[in-house]
Amino acid sequence: MVDFSNQPTMKGFFAPTRFEADVYDCEVVGKVPTDLNGAFIRLGGDWLYPPISQNDSPFSMDGYINMFRFKNGIVDYKGRWVKTPRFHADLAAHKQLFGLYRNPLTDDPSVKGLDRSVQNTTPLAFAGKLFTLKEDSLPYEIDCNTLETIGPWNFHGKYKSLTFTAHPKVDPLTGEMICYGYEATGLETNDVFLYTINKRGEVTRELRFKVPYVSMVHDIGLTQKHVIIPVFGFVTSMERLKEGKVHWGWDSTKPAYVGIVPRDGEAKDIRWFKGPERATVHTLNARTEGEKVILEAAIYDSNPFPFFPPIDGSPWDPSKARAYIRRNAFDLSSKDDGFTEEKLFPMNVSDLGRIDDRYLSLPYRYAFTAYGDKERPFNEWKAGNLAGRVNNCYGRFDLATGEMSSYFAGETHSLQEVCFVPRKNGSEGEGYIMGVASNYAEMRSELIIADAQHLQEGDIARVILPFRATAQVHGRWVNESELPFA
Amino acid sequence: MNPTMDGNSCSVATFGMTRRRLLALLATATSALTVLGLEGLPTASRKQGRRAVVSFHLDQPYLDWSGTAVPYYPPPGARSAEVAAHLTEEMLRRISINL
Repeated sequence: MVDFSNQPTMKGFFAPTRFEADVYDCEVVGKVPTDLNGAFIRLGGDWLYPPISQNDSPFSMDGYINMFRFKNGIVDYKGRWVKTPRFHADLAAHKQLFGLYRNPLTDDPSVKGLDRSVQNTTPLAFAGKLFTLKEDSLPYEIDCNTLETIGPWNFHGKYKSLTFTAHPKVDPLTGEMICYGYEATGLETNDVFLYTINKRGEVTRELRFKVPYVSMVHDIGLTQKHVIIPVFGFVTSMERLKEGKVHWGWDSTKPAYVGIVPRDGEAKDIRWFKGPERATVHTLNARTEGEKVILEAAIYDSNPFPFFPPIDGSPWDPSKARAYIRRNAFDLSSKDDGFTEEKLFPMNVSDLGRIDDRYLSLPYRYAFTAYGDKERPFNEWKAGNLAGRVNNCYGRFDLATGEMSSYFAGETHSLQEVCFVPRKNGSEGEGYIMGVASNYAEMRSELIIADAQHLQEGDIARVILPFRATAQVHGRWVNESELPFA
Repeated sequence: MNPTMDGNSCSVATFGMTRRRLLALLATATSALTVLGLEGLPTASRKQGRRAVVSFHLDQPYLDWSGTAVPYYPPPGARSAEVAAHLTEEMLRRISINL
């Protein structure tokens, strides 16, 4: 018997949806630009069955991939579960067999040894294939037309890490992908394997190294010369797992480390810089300027995730769980291990920021992300009393001038991660921003499309879904030519 | 707050008064309507012999012309985030990365 009634956070708009969907020729308010041909592919999670404990993380939700397919101004929608061995096992048993986030010791004995990945973090189009990514396992290949699951992929057996990041970086100049896996040789190992994979999907380089302590390495920075590896705060141990806890806890005494390694370097070339308590979960962009390496990211003061609680038993502190766009500068010619930090904008923002990916690893100017503007109206009567607690704007942040412009989604809406779609042959920042809004008044999701250079003018088009789309973790725009679309 | 309710079954009264004063006023109004033979009431209610009753939604009084005193339910989807309104910041963040 499926029963979500005792799950306090799974009600109303936030209740599981649990269905697969096809919507042909979606309803559109406005006009979809006809130069948008390809797909906006989103990956996130939904609960097929309730978690075994309310202490589990939303990162344990079953993967759900969905796609807005754009063709000559017409948009179709398709959503499918990512059908992993875990999904099939649960479905066959009609219940949740898997325990807490990345703790197999809490699983039902019947699934011991089974791939427990849920594939719910990032979609990736690379070398003509579509993948789902989850940092605790290998990528899963997905049919780009049906969105049905094909299975795990190890790059012709040459990718040896047991895990694969949710944030690989594709060099826009060479087409190479820089990717990695942490806890690469198994649970609780401090091994990281860093790879270069060419645009044909062939592994061309592997670098193995160790991190100062086993921690979440969720994202990296990439420059034309260096790879930047943030390590921060989250800790784990076999003792934690044996005690039946989720994989990560937060240790505020742990310094934030940032490793910098030349792209053609060896393990001995890694230089570890050390800073105060921070959480760099996602990066925006990075570059090398002479002897300096610059990383820009929306960085949290401390632990952003209450479901990975402090290990000292203290309560999770929401006042420190705010991300600000910051610039970290690392001086490779310095003798010490310190680095500088500069807060670039005063307001806190969603750390799920994006750039014009054609400028990844290169000098650039614009960052885009969602944020909550408390000065904007929120219609509590229509939407519910979440005023001040939603992201109601997308911002374009000009890192050169400090100026920003913003798009407001409306008085009953909350915005999920933004995506930037460049206009063909356009200059940096010329194109569209795209993202899904939750419409609490109408109990539905809407894909927002706006001109990135004229955000204040509102959206160009809204693609209306007659239901709630599964919440996204990350989404990516994929051009028509990148995948073998029908 | 500026409520606008579903006009099919009820109408809004956004009076700046207490419930007690309003009930007194409505009692008088109901008597007047009775004297007038329920003229002006919706046809279905009149056929069923029901009388308008006072009800409340979100602490706002309104005349329920159906006379059934069935609580008002917002249209499907309206206020669908309200279920999270009472949650602490910690619980809210347990829902998902994106709301």
